[in-house]
Amino acid sequence: MKCDWVKDNIVFYVYNELEDDARYEVEQHLGRCPACAAELKTVRKFHATLSQAPVAEPSPNLLAASRMRLQEALETTTQGGFWQRLVFDPGNWMRQMRLAPAMVAAIFIVGFGGGIAATYNFMSGRPVIVGTNPTPDSNTSPLEASITGIRSITQDPGSNQVNIKYDTVSTKDIQGSLNDQRIQQLLLFAARNNFNSGVRMDAVEKLTQAPNENNVREVLMYSLQNDTNPGVRLKALDGLSGFVRQDVRVRDAVLQSLINDTNIGVRMQALHLVEPMKADSTVRTVLTKLGQTDDNASIRSQAKAMMAQVPEMD
Amino acid sequence: MPADSYAAAIPVGELSRGQASGARGERGSGTQNPSLRGSVAAQGNRIDDTTLIREAQQGNRAAFEVLVRHYDQSVLRLALHLTGSEADAQDIHQDAFLKAYKNLGSFRFECSFYTWIYRIVTNLCLDHLRKRNVRKEDAPVATDRSGEEYSLIEQVADGRSGANPERDLMRRELGRKIGAALSKLTPRERMVFELKHYHGLKLRTVGEMLNTTEETAKNTLFRATQKLRGALLEMR
Repeated sequence: MKCDWVKDNIVFYVYNELEDDARYEVEQHLGRCPACAAELKTVRKFHATLSQAPVAEPSPNLLAASRMRLQEALETTTQGGFWQRLVFDPGNWMRQMRLAPAMVAAIFIVGFGGGIAATYNFMSGRPVIVGTNPTPDSNTSPLEASITGIRSITQDPGSNQVNIKYDTVSTKDIQGSLNDQRIQQLLLFAARNNFNSGVRMDAVEKLTQAPNENNVREVLMYSLQNDTNPGVRLKALDGLSGFVRQDVRVRDAVLQSLINDTNIGVRMQALHLVEPMKADSTVRTVLTKLGQTDDNASIRSQAKAMMAQVPEMD
Repeated sequence: MPADSYAAAIPVGELSRGQASGARGERGSGTQNPSLRGSVAAQGNRIDDTTLIREAQQGNRAAFEVLVRHYDQSVLRLALHLTGSEADAQDIHQDAFLKAYKNLGSFRFECSFYTWIYRIVTNLCLDHLRKRNVRKEDAPVATDRSGEEYSLIEQVADGRSGANPERDLMRRELGRKIGAALSKLTPRERMVFELKHYHGLKLRTVGEMLNTTEETAKNTLFRATQKLRGALLEMR
């Protein structure tokens, strides 16, 4: 019977907890049913009665005293083990922050500049982003720039002034040719560190067009060996192809890739690149081994075919 | 440099250490709906919370203290109304935030900090209610620091309250009745009713805070209101 259902739900109606369609039904019924309308009146009166014990705001004294007490307790509370045990997950943290890739890269520098960027001289001491650096406008509301963290909060003794030190991140633009050192530095950084694989790929691609520099080669090798995205690894391989003949390190890196990469496209491309280098005994050893034991049939047959063309040298 | 450090001086009226009487908190008025104000403030601060929480998780105690400021007033308000005692409210406030501080490492942003801290607070409140179940008469009076009782109902900003002793008496009487009725509820029923009726939280939120479903919270509210209506009728 409808009245039972309505009576059961009148409480939720009064407390505004009904879904729209249920609320509509109740209202419709109440318009027609005096018994239920009376019940509504009773419940409303009940609601009003209970509201006569209103919620008082804690007195300023109570609030201040509670805060002080907490502050004292915090000072003696051990942090120690809890914080160290927490594993800082930068990837997840960045996703939480939902920042643009470039900003994220910048934060990476701030947090881990020492560890990740070891090979880059420009990291030590010098500002990473060169270019117009607008002086911090003291009138800018601090909330307009993205706040990454609050460093410290101190109070001048005897006054009601509070000092807050906080970090912000700001995005900057820079333009230049591939010959520009600053551009190269940023590209190198982006190729290694950027959170967004699209940006990494762009960076690697630009770097392959950049003039012949040792740094570039190193970064491309790093990308080839470590980047999680196979597209980026392929781009890196492209960039390195010119150096396979002349640079043994590059050749070794490509061989590593041929043996270990998880992506078959990358492996095939690597195979392709070492093929002209069959004079190298290391290359021959690798090809022979692959021809015999590799899991992938395509690789096996190609490696075998390549070796078959080599006159018996060993 | 991608990160800039600013040192900003912000005058804050209420942060006066060592001078409890000199602190000026927010206007103390019980007649507005403080829960709305609290939850709106919580919404606006959520982005800042994330940063503060990350900082605090790294061991930055100052960041934790700022984070606490976003919530401690509404926590106190809840504890005060539920327990009726300033001392008990303060204990709950203390225990809740200390617990939050110690366990912050396990906060994984799976819910809002607001829900998380309230979960801690409601659990402490439930413990308090269970311990206090022996006490039958539970009038909504509060005891201040010096042990004096004062009626919570009289906290309502009403300049005429002193002028009408009869009305005061009726109010006090009503307060006692309400207190008595509330004491008939189980701790969970009391908690759900408190959060819903006095602090305006949605039952879905209440469910989250009590680690249960919205459906269960609904049923609990229903039972609570039935009991309360019955109790009030009996007292007529």
